[in-house]
Amino acid sequence: MSNANLIILLSTISTGLILGAIFSLVAVGVTIVYGSIWMPNAANGQFFLLAALFGWTMTVSWGLHPAIAAVLVIGLSVPLSYALEFVLIRRFYDVPNRNISYFVLSLGITQILAGIFAFTYGQWSDQFQLPPLIGGITFIGPLPVANNRLLVLVLALAILAALFALLRYHRYGRAIRAVFQNRDAAALRGVNVKASYSLSFALGNAVIFAGGILFALAYSFDLTIAWTMSITAFAIMIIGGPGSVLGAFIVGMVFGFTQAAVSTVASPTIAAFSYLGAMLLILLFKPSGLFAR
Amino acid sequence: MTQSFKTGGRIQGHSANLLLLAGFAIVAFVLPIALSGNRYLAFVAGVTMIHILWACGMNLLYGYTGLMPLMFAGIAGISAYTVVDLTANGWSFWLALPVGALAASITGTVLGLPSLRLKGFYFTLCSLVIQTVMTLGFIYFSGLTNGDTGFSQIPLPSLRGEPLSSLSYDLVLAAAAVLGVMVLIAIMRSTLGRRLIAIREDDELAAMLGINVTGYKMIAFFVGSLFAGVGGALYAPYIGFISPRSFDVLISMNIWLMVAFGGRGTIWGPVLGAALLAPLSFFLQEYYTIKDVLYGALIIAVIVLMPAGLLGSLGRTPRLPAAEIDAPVPRRSPK
Repeated sequence: MSNANLIILLSTISTGLILGAIFSLVAVGVTIVYGSIWMPNAANGQFFLLAALFGWTMTVSWGLHPAIAAVLVIGLSVPLSYALEFVLIRRFYDVPNRNISYFVLSLGITQILAGIFAFTYGQWSDQFQLPPLIGGITFIGPLPVANNRLLVLVLALAILAALFALLRYHRYGRAIRAVFQNRDAAALRGVNVKASYSLSFALGNAVIFAGGILFALAYSFDLTIAWTMSITAFAIMIIGGPGSVLGAFIVGMVFGFTQAAVSTVASPTIAAFSYLGAMLLILLFKPSGLFAR
Repeated sequence: MTQSFKTGGRIQGHSANLLLLAGFAIVAFVLPIALSGNRYLAFVAGVTMIHILWACGMNLLYGYTGLMPLMFAGIAGISAYTVVDLTANGWSFWLALPVGALAASITGTVLGLPSLRLKGFYFTLCSLVIQTVMTLGFIYFSGLTNGDTGFSQIPLPSLRGEPLSSLSYDLVLAAAAVLGVMVLIAIMRSTLGRRLIAIREDDELAAMLGINVTGYKMIAFFVGSLFAGVGGALYAPYIGFISPRSFDVLISMNIWLMVAFGGRGTIWGPVLGAALLAPLSFFLQEYYTIKDVLYGALIIAVIVLMPAGLLGSLGRTPRLPAAEIDAPVPRRSPK
């Protein structure tokens, strides 16, 4: 294999890994919220963008270190989530077929946030770029990779691992999973269902925010990524199986690689067509997804 | 609770409907003449007429058949692009219009097929994906659609070699809107309408009563998409400019909002919703971002505060707690 081809291959793999990890993070966030409170959050892309834009304000406008900004942004998601949950989300907990209400509700939130972004950030800049976490370059074979992107990859995978551990072993995680499986039985066993709902809403959004700030640290972005991310996260969730964290992770990684590979050989539009097509097929023939829980 | 929304026909009676229709027709035809001095206001009125037609089509699908397709704007776009391409190739507009509308109807019927398998949220999500694919398609197949730039300076259609005046095209639009409402009233008076309502309320029960659910859903999609197609075909030369943005998911949401805000499943609710919301977007065009925030807030308000819409909540005792949108009403109380 010639050196040029090797570089293309390696760069596809590294981009695929980083994109895959970030897609997985966002999709896991969406699927946690869907699995527990049955809310298909179409505004996930706007939340993702909100985190990225907050990070931009904190680093570029206020001059904070990117690491501090990242922690602040993820921390900020918690009060925001609880406020939103208190004002809107909570009203629907007892409504049958509430997923469609939530879906439209989140489309409304999408429109509001998109409007706000357009007349604030949209007028300040077209393209947003955050300062890197760390400088320097590492050579993987012949391919130079910025240390910053490697660190982002490690952080994303670490957050995913921590999330799996939390859901599997911790008391709160087990309560969330119990409510996932059977709300009434969990309530009978003394799980506070409403508290677990708000917790999983906040947890899911925190993960989406983490995905947003990590993406912003690795790549420059503009306002159009929000809708692309929303649709991508939905496609991943549907294909992986709504509510399946493992499915979201695996399909998210696959999507990252597909995006990286198809973008190298064809155009990003072809990538979008291909996974929207995959999502339609799954919706029609196996709506419970590949990794149904 | 037996039914969370009632049919306009039953509450108001048919004669009241005809009276309202006559009133609406008078307003629709007098408005362009009265506003002919002010081109801008007449233009807003014309666009509102197109939206009334669209809202009627969406109402047939969403209000009466209980399906919520978020690909409505995309279907209208197919017709608009077809008409623009055909007229650019020398076709007469009046021949291109039925062809475009039929193309939209057939596309809509095919794209509605998932509704046979998917219900509620899953169908809506599916239609959202289809809408996104259509928007990408409008950009991607730039040979037919001129890509992101779209077509501009689309001329008004001509009749017997003479280009139509703006006023006469305004009257065409008014006629289309009145005709749309008339067709909807006629459908809802017929067995077809009652069967669609039966499918909305409980499609399994409807199937057991011998109603061909598959067939009637397809008919609903065909007719609803026809409304979308006629509206799209009329829209292109009126605005004079179309691009993928003219038919993207936000427009689908706006049409949905007009129906839901006005009162789905009533004849006049969506007409009122379109008449209130369509001009709004023009008067706010200078501040188009505020328009997005306002529409988003209205969507949330409709879901949270008035699931039955403006007209749907008239004549009904206290508001139902459940903000159910799309599902058949459960016979057992969930709590």
